[in-house]
Amino acid sequence: MSIPDIAIWLESTTPATLVRESTWGFPIVVATHILGITLSAGMIMWFDLRLLGVVLRGSPVSAVYRGVIPWAGTGFAVMFASGGLLLAAYATAAHGNPYFRIKMAALGLAGLNALVYHLSIDRRRAAWDAQATPPPAARAAGLVSILVWTCVILAGRMMSYTMF
Amino acid sequence: MDTALAWVEATGVASAVRESLWLTASLSAVHLVGVTLVGAGALASGLWCGGLLFANQPAAAVMRPAGRAIGLGLLISLLTGVLLVSPRASASAANGFFQWKMTFLIAAAATDVLVRRRGPALAGRATVAGGLLRSALYGAVIVAGCAFILLE
Repeated sequence: MSIPDIAIWLESTTPATLVRESTWGFPIVVATHILGITLSAGMIMWFDLRLLGVVLRGSPVSAVYRGVIPWAGTGFAVMFASGGLLLAAYATAAHGNPYFRIKMAALGLAGLNALVYHLSIDRRRAAWDAQATPPPAARAAGLVSILVWTCVILAGRMMSYTMF
Repeated sequence: MDTALAWVEATGVASAVRESLWLTASLSAVHLVGVTLVGAGALASGLWCGGLLFANQPAAAVMRPAGRAIGLGLLISLLTGVLLVSPRASASAANGFFQWKMTFLIAAAATDVLVRRRGPALAGRATVAGGLLRSALYGAVIVAGCAFILLE
């Protein structure tokens, strides 16, 4: 099954049809998606800024992480569920859209950046957890995260203007 | 008012935005970055006021950066928002969702100023209430904004 075939199949599913054809489906799912992004990216931004040593400098990095992650996780769940519905509803148009590819690449980069952070820098966190300014590698991870999440938001909004 | 709105729609900037899908999309994308900054600041300060985030942190450690995020976000979203609305200023002004968005925005900004200026002088509960109200109002701005762009 090729990707265009999968896209056509996705568009034929009941949830996709509901989003596409009901009066309120599309606006509600898009609004939920935007609120999910605001919650996830907004909360992650606080952790990124702590990694950069810009905010909450008196609080350990681990404490900031523990504080924001339940909220950011909820935002991610909302964002991925609503984004999945939107993708299913307009899979063919999304597949051919360059901004969709940029958004997916940026999301992949965000995930890779988080993975690298947790597998390398975060393992040595005990040595710098309470430092007001974390080491350069941690600061770089925070900066990359802010940049790629900004890219996700920009590309996502560009998609809606270029897909239909 | 109608004359002023018609003048805005006739400006070169409004024409440029009206005629360029790429410019409109770019402005809208940057507008959403601004909205996310406002949301990040409002959420964090609201959750702190409710004792749900950074509860062991002093007010200044959360409220000051949250205020800066809201300020920067508002600057970005107001600049891009004015440009986005300029080609359809009359229709936007007559739109119910847009009117709600502006009402919530003015109320949120007024609460914001009150919380920042009077915050230290107010008793604990008043500060918490002010912070929660500010966050709720900015949340309402975002919801009304979503309704405006999706249902106009």
